[in-house]
Amino acid sequence: MGKFNYNKEVLANLRLEDKDTHLLDRLLDYESARDAHAKKSHAAIDKRISLKEAITEYVKDGDILTDTGFSYVRTPIAAYFEIIRQGIKGLQNIGSPATNQSYMIHSGTVTHTHWSYCGAEMRGTDRAMSRNVKEGRTKVLSEWSHGTMAQGFKAAQLGLPGLYSKQLLGSDLLKYNPFVKVVDNPMKTEKDPCVFIPALYPDVTIIHVHQADKFGNAKIYGPIVNDAAIAAASRKVIITAEEIVPPMAFRNDNKGVVIPFVYVDAVVEMPYGALIGSMPGLYYWPRRMWEKVMRYWAYKDGAMQEFHDEIIFGCKDQFEVIDKLLGGSKWMANAKRLTKAEEYDNEDEGVDFHYKEWTRDDPNLNDVTDQFK
Amino acid sequence: MTDQRPANPLEMIAYVLAQQIKDGEVVYIGTGLPMVAGILAKKTHAPNITMVYESGAQNPIPGAMPWSVGGPATWRKSPMILEMSYSFGQLYNGYVDKAFLGYAQIDMYGNVNTHMIGGDFHNYKNRLTGSGGNNDLSSLAKQLVLVGLQSPQKFVKNVDFITSPGFITGGNSRKEAGLVGGGPIAVITSAGTYDFEPESKRMRINSLHPGVSPELAQMASGFELLKPKGEIPVTSVPTQDIIDILRKEVDPRGVFTSMPS
Repeated sequence: MGKFNYNKEVLANLRLEDKDTHLLDRLLDYESARDAHAKKSHAAIDKRISLKEAITEYVKDGDILTDTGFSYVRTPIAAYFEIIRQGIKGLQNIGSPATNQSYMIHSGTVTHTHWSYCGAEMRGTDRAMSRNVKEGRTKVLSEWSHGTMAQGFKAAQLGLPGLYSKQLLGSDLLKYNPFVKVVDNPMKTEKDPCVFIPALYPDVTIIHVHQADKFGNAKIYGPIVNDAAIAAASRKVIITAEEIVPPMAFRNDNKGVVIPFVYVDAVVEMPYGALIGSMPGLYYWPRRMWEKVMRYWAYKDGAMQEFHDEIIFGCKDQFEVIDKLLGGSKWMANAKRLTKAEEYDNEDEGVDFHYKEWTRDDPNLNDVTDQFK
Repeated sequence: MTDQRPANPLEMIAYVLAQQIKDGEVVYIGTGLPMVAGILAKKTHAPNITMVYESGAQNPIPGAMPWSVGGPATWRKSPMILEMSYSFGQLYNGYVDKAFLGYAQIDMYGNVNTHMIGGDFHNYKNRLTGSGGNNDLSSLAKQLVLVGLQSPQKFVKNVDFITSPGFITGGNSRKEAGLVGGGPIAVITSAGTYDFEPESKRMRINSLHPGVSPELAQMASGFELLKPKGEIPVTSVPTQDIIDILRKEVDPRGVFTSMPS
């Protein structure tokens, strides 16, 4: 493990002591990441295992876990639920955005946060997150912008110790990020402040994709966000895939194949693995359920336990979420119809996106649109 | 039946924001009112603009208003979608003309806070979303337009956290910090439009919406608003044709432009 020189003032601002800096080191430690990458099997072998096995084998207490996809789009939420079910504790969470950590803090699954964005998107503040940080259930280890965190992952993918950025300058983010330093551009004659962003190496990454082959080559449709970079950087990589295709499929059409098999430790076949989020081309959000998350489960202290009881432990997998809570096969057809219409792969004229918003007086989570009932 | 009601405050913001966009520009768009404004501009005076989004998407075709930031509405039939790091790279490299951002708090130099309200980093009243792409756009954009509601709680003397630098402490401080973007050119609120005085870099009234007096605008601000020389212009309001396009074609369900009841 390398030794790192953190800004003392920033550590003090974050209320971190010298004895805590081991929490920070692994994210920067190129040597152990390279060793981990070197020690994996580099052969194209069948890596398919079950979700349970993949989480047990590759996600360990205290790991730095990424949040991938974009908030609730193509995010491996069903795998996050399995991490919670297995009682794994003390994870650090990093990602831009990293909105899914919010419900993982309640169970002690996530206890440390590298923050670039955590909120309720267009609905504003995530109140559970606000309480969790204030009450010390998760400790913020660093503050980022989306762009600079993305640069850290990209630097790792490019095989660089880091890169110089023109973001963060003049902001308070610099006071709360121990991983970055203001340095002068060495090539300029006049003073030219830049921010050095180190390459970032998470421990474990789960990426939900549209298709994978049994070796781990993986194909994404829609925004890739940071996932190609994160897959290259991370010490351990699990792919969950809507479909497993024969290797020949990617030889015939390699469009959208962005993750090479050699990065990948495990491949899990998982239809509807992005639930309770959405999957481009395949299914729309269960909107009433998310509204209940934001307006009720996250809103008041103690209510998050009900979310865990009802959704994570009350359903053993994503299929039970569909069958027990959302409306079964009709929800599946409706969710596909909405996403394809919004993407304009299907005719959208006449497709009604209206739905009844969740309220306490109308608590059913089934959100099949009126038009499709 | 045409809805004859005049523009409500959110529709007014969307219209004024759209007026900031010139045809042919590349605009970096946040979800919400900036998206409404971008689509309105595209359907009216600026058909040849390219909208780019934090999800990495380039130039989607307009459709329904989005339910989520990374959702299909921001990449509907986009000819290409960039990875996040490349998407922000477009700003540094000079390909983005304008960026549009919201704020929770803003000060007289256009510094923006989306981190926390009240108290300090560890003991706040409310923790907000954090930067997201806010800091990146404010650091790098050639021209930045800020948009939001105006009240003394939002227009504050000192922001509780500088998520995104405007003109920092005024004068040359932005340039001296090493920032390449030009900083904010306009703030569009429910009360009026503002620019920044070229020397001090302090916020200055540019125009006020119909019915808003300078005194009223000042009452809705926690810092002194500079006034322009001479009479303060009244912000132009959208024609009925433009209001119709906004209500029928851009945001028919009123996702971002209907006033909360």
